[in-house]
Amino acid sequence: MSKSKASGPSRYELLFIVPNNYTEDEAKTIITKVEAIVTEQGATIAFREFWGKKKLAYIIKQNHYGYYSLCEFDAEREAIAKIDRTLRLSKEVLRHQIISIPVVTEVERAKTKEKQEQASAKNDKKEEKPVKEKMSKPGISAPRAEKNESNKADLKDLDEKLEGILNAKDLL
Amino acid sequence: MNNKKQKDCFFCVNQLDVDYKDVRTLRRFINFYMKILPGDRTGICSWHQRKLTQAIKRARVMALLAPTHK
Repeated sequence: MSKSKASGPSRYELLFIVPNNYTEDEAKTIITKVEAIVTEQGATIAFREFWGKKKLAYIIKQNHYGYYSLCEFDAEREAIAKIDRTLRLSKEVLRHQIISIPVVTEVERAKTKEKQEQASAKNDKKEEKPVKEKMSKPGISAPRAEKNESNKADLKDLDEKLEGILNAKDLL
Repeated sequence: MNNKKQKDCFFCVNQLDVDYKDVRTLRRFINFYMKILPGDRTGICSWHQRKLTQAIKRARVMALLAPTHK
């Protein structure tokens, strides 16, 4: 980053999580509140995306789920610290992260998404192939593979059951 | 002795930028214990490997990826 670049406004990306103890409508009002905090500091919002309710990879403050929302905006450097501070103090936002990003047009955004999907689809195919080859080999290896599969299925069932129980607890 | 095969960099080949929100891609470069794989295992060029570690850490902060397995 050169010094001359820091003088003007630059593009930032804010991703934040609203805890699951709010309903989806309440979460959306909180998101508009957060956007108001951002615009108060003289920033202009360029892009917003609501990801909906997602499972958190780990429990944060006894929350298993959260509403993710993404927001891109142009702001001065000094404004970021203020936005960061207000979001850190607010109890309605479980977690947030602001990072600087290059400016992306709508067309480019769509293209990158396509590329990501294509790339991941390719890799999924690659991963499937070696498993199949192992399965087709005759002899001792075949029954072993079957056993592994059944174990995996059991684990999946268990995971689903666990999730169901956890959801029930959230409702209480 | 260079026994390890030189692989092509995933991000250079697909002309992709490393994105911490794209969990599906990041998953490829993490082992069962949710540890970041080293550059010689992933086959990613060192420039992208640095971006990747940063992205995985960012994803962990936002609970998109777990820091450890269960």
